[in-house]
Amino acid sequence: MADGGGEAGASAVSPPPLQGLQLVQQGAEARLYRGQFLGRPAVVKLRFPKRYRHPALEERLSRRRTAQEARSLLRCRRAGISAPVVYFVDYVSNCIYLEDIAGSTTVRDYITSVQQSGNDTSNLFLLAEKIGEVLARMHDDDLIHGDLTTSNMLLRPPVEELDLVLIDFGLSFISGLPEDKGVDLYVLEKAFLSTHPNTDTLFEVLLKKYSTTSKKSSPVIKKLDEVRLRGRKRSMVG
Amino acid sequence: MIIGANIAYAFFSMQHFTRQLELFPDCSVTLVLFNDVKNAVALRKKAMEGSIDGALINPAMIVDPFQILVATNKAVHLHRIGKMKTRTLNAEIIFNLSPNNNISDALKKFGISDNDSAVLIVLIEDKEKTLNLEGIISQVEGQQVSLAELHKITDIAKVKKIYKLTPQEEKIGTLLDGIICRMSTKDIS
Repeated sequence: MADGGGEAGASAVSPPPLQGLQLVQQGAEARLYRGQFLGRPAVVKLRFPKRYRHPALEERLSRRRTAQEARSLLRCRRAGISAPVVYFVDYVSNCIYLEDIAGSTTVRDYITSVQQSGNDTSNLFLLAEKIGEVLARMHDDDLIHGDLTTSNMLLRPPVEELDLVLIDFGLSFISGLPEDKGVDLYVLEKAFLSTHPNTDTLFEVLLKKYSTTSKKSSPVIKKLDEVRLRGRKRSMVG
Repeated sequence: MIIGANIAYAFFSMQHFTRQLELFPDCSVTLVLFNDVKNAVALRKKAMEGSIDGALINPAMIVDPFQILVATNKAVHLHRIGKMKTRTLNAEIIFNLSPNNNISDALKKFGISDNDSAVLIVLIEDKEKTLNLEGIISQVEGQQVSLAELHKITDIAKVKKIYKLTPQEEKIGTLLDGIICRMSTKDIS
């Protein structure tokens, strides 16, 4: 989910009818609230209508992304990848009520804090391997995340255990194509390298572990190389 | 949250379990558990006729009251927007417990059978319906027990078989986690 940026039309949207809800994050697509659901700490993700979209398209898109997210979260868990438990999906207001991973830290914040503290960074290499391993398992199940960033990966407390939880499957889909998996990794690479300076080696470790874990990795890595060459501001001449 | 038996005195006060639904604040859910039930056949009939206005559930399939709360929350939500899959709120609660979309299968597996000796009754109270707990309890020929006894009645093996958790899934979460996920996403997966 993209960070920051409020939106003029979005302020008209009311929060879910749950008491004690705290707004945690305002993204481009959805708002995240924290509260209690049937006695459990929960996170509520509300996809709000975008005023610039045609209403018919708006309804379909929001609903599809909500449904897709719920579906993918179950698929993830079935494949043994940690993702929040889905408590309830409200298709009227396009709200998902999810398990709150209490006390979690985003991988983004973790990497940043380890780098800033100047402490032992060997755990970062272990983290990169962990991520590579998890993504390999996800792709082997033909699940494409669609929005891989270090903000969409959480670490359960205590962070040193590197207990990874994937979140935000709104743009996910099912595909066996190496191209789609390659692009998934490419999105992560761009996000990773731009958010965390001097992490080229770290990302290489991630990819290496991905390659050794996934049974179908070699065409994926091949596609990744092709996509890298295709990227923005790259000349396709010659 | 779980109300246990009051053991400070010479008699046990059998506790039921009541919770308000946050999303529907006028609505509260009460769970009552019975063991050594002798009249399951009659109870089923009464539930079907409507003389008992509650969902009669097989507690062997329930691992935690949260499972019932999630099913009930979804049922009330769909009832209020006129989008239930079954014909009554009580049937919808039972249906929502199932990991699949086959209604008769759900009612058979999660509802009570004629020879069941344990029964869990779910009662909804809102602006239109008031709770007649004593009336319901008096109709059950059995022993009311605290919800804390539920774990003794749950048939874990049967639950695992019905919900079909994968071995990988068991490593990353509890049985309840897997159950809730399936209940909440079955309509689109």
